[in-house]
Amino acid sequence: MGAVRERAPALVSGNSTRLLLLFALLPLGAFFTVLWFGPMFYTLVMSFFTDPLGSAQFTGFGNYLDVLTGDTFPFYLWNSVLFAVSTTVLSLVVGLGFSLVVNEQLRGRQGLRTLMIVPYLLPTVVVVFLWTLMLDQNLGLLNQALVEMGIISSPIAFFSTPGLAMPSVITASVWKWGSFAFFIILANLQAIPDAYYERAQVQGASPWQQFRDITFPNLRGAILLILLVRGIWMFNKFDIIWLTTRGGPINLTTTLPIRVYDLAIRSGAFGSATALSGIMFAILAVTGVLYFTVMEPEAEVKD
Amino acid sequence: MFENRTGGPGGLVSSRTQRRVRRVALYLTALIVTAFIVTPLYVMIIVSLQSPETLFSGGELTLFSTELSLSNFRTLVTETATPRYLLNSFIITAGVVLVSTVLAVVSGYGLARFSFRGKTTTARLILFSYMFSPIVLAIPLYIIFFNLGLLNSHLAAIFSISAIAAPFSIWLMWQYFQNIPVTYEESAWTSGATRWRTIRDVVLPLARPGYVSVAIFAFSVAWNDYTMVKIVLSEQALYPITLGSSLFLDQLNIGWGEQMAAAVVMSIPPFLVALFLQNYLLQGFNLGHE
Repeated sequence: MGAVRERAPALVSGNSTRLLLLFALLPLGAFFTVLWFGPMFYTLVMSFFTDPLGSAQFTGFGNYLDVLTGDTFPFYLWNSVLFAVSTTVLSLVVGLGFSLVVNEQLRGRQGLRTLMIVPYLLPTVVVVFLWTLMLDQNLGLLNQALVEMGIISSPIAFFSTPGLAMPSVITASVWKWGSFAFFIILANLQAIPDAYYERAQVQGASPWQQFRDITFPNLRGAILLILLVRGIWMFNKFDIIWLTTRGGPINLTTTLPIRVYDLAIRSGAFGSATALSGIMFAILAVTGVLYFTVMEPEAEVKD
Repeated sequence: MFENRTGGPGGLVSSRTQRRVRRVALYLTALIVTAFIVTPLYVMIIVSLQSPETLFSGGELTLFSTELSLSNFRTLVTETATPRYLLNSFIITAGVVLVSTVLAVVSGYGLARFSFRGKTTTARLILFSYMFSPIVLAIPLYIIFFNLGLLNSHLAAIFSISAIAAPFSIWLMWQYFQNIPVTYEESAWTSGATRWRTIRDVVLPLARPGYVSVAIFAFSVAWNDYTMVKIVLSEQALYPITLGSSLFLDQLNIGWGEQMAAAVVMSIPPFLVALFLQNYLLQGFNLGHE
């Protein structure tokens, strides 16, 4: 870092350098202005008008009040939080458990690692195909197994049964995104020096004690990162929920992103849709501030 | 140390038993997780490889069969728009990879090599946009593209997917350039090379692993995307394979066999990436999140 800072003056002098700087940062500025600031500003402006694309009328916070005081908002927010928290925590449990296994001297661990990449890389649409077949009412493997074992008497339509739709979407999501936690934790596990464990063994620590006193403390940062970042991404998830349930049955899997889509694209209610977008923006901004305060990811930037 | 804490009354469970239990637990976990991951994949492949007659022969799905055929793949090619969808996917993916990678290399270099005010803010903006909700961004983009007359074009798809792929790509490249010592460039300058030649002959070759990782990341975002194209494309002839094949879910004349065949076809490109470029891929995980 020191080296870069010392040499920086030599780098920024001269006309050709200034030109290069301009050339390098202009596309970045253009990109963010056109594809991020512009659209977000536009959204926020629209959220203050009724019927913003037709006979637009300024309504102040009217749309926000409508959205926030409607009967359904707390319910959709709850669905979002439920989906985000369950998928994230379950992914963490699966990822942690399995990375501990793969980190051991196990036969075939290289193969297991490669296997874990596959679900993460498969397009969400493929994951949806697989799980609608696995959980299908007529042909699904799970129904067949449950009926044969006598646990249920007749097959269940998992994705359209209240009470089972959300767990089904969560299962498919963990299947796909569990690997994210797995790879991050694995990388962190491999960074723990073997000497720690050797010393603990000499002192007679049991496997559980080793996990509690060595492994877990060294993973705290990774776990926090997964909870926060994966949690935000799952909160924002649209595709897997939309493709499996369309937000149903009776809106039981309607999360805020699904609701935004419904309002904007299906109902053309851009006033409410943009106000809800504004609310999501606020929620994400608060989480973002939390992320920056706790993790300080930008500390990796050298001046 | 261990006698007074483990295994119930009087520490009856010996360290040796604990180790054995641990061993069994390890293999058991490996087995369960492998089954959880492999079963759907196996079902996908075996269903895609059977003709409808053999698939449903027993009233249930035939899961172990020796009569394999490619008839589902043939149906996909002859009776659905799958080839068209695939071509669209390749066009859109290539566009996104090009836009994101070039943008990431250029901005990453600028951000890493020059000092200017507001660098921390820039970093936060990039990271924040990386965490942002695609659907919330897609709504205004939909209206803007509509007003520009760009809605329903591959260009709209490429730009909107790049909007979500580029932030992390830029961040990755920024980190990567930071880790390349500036001394290499300086020694090139002092031996008389121009700035541009230095970039072409010294910087870009050194940054190669970085931009391969970025290209793979952009590829997987674009190949996978459903949300953005769902909003900016409405003409079926322009659909990529993800969006096009999702229509099969509601089409009665398309059975499970064809659906799984489409799933297999869609999975081949990412699978090849996983197979041959695994290390680049994992670098993305490691650089971005530590």
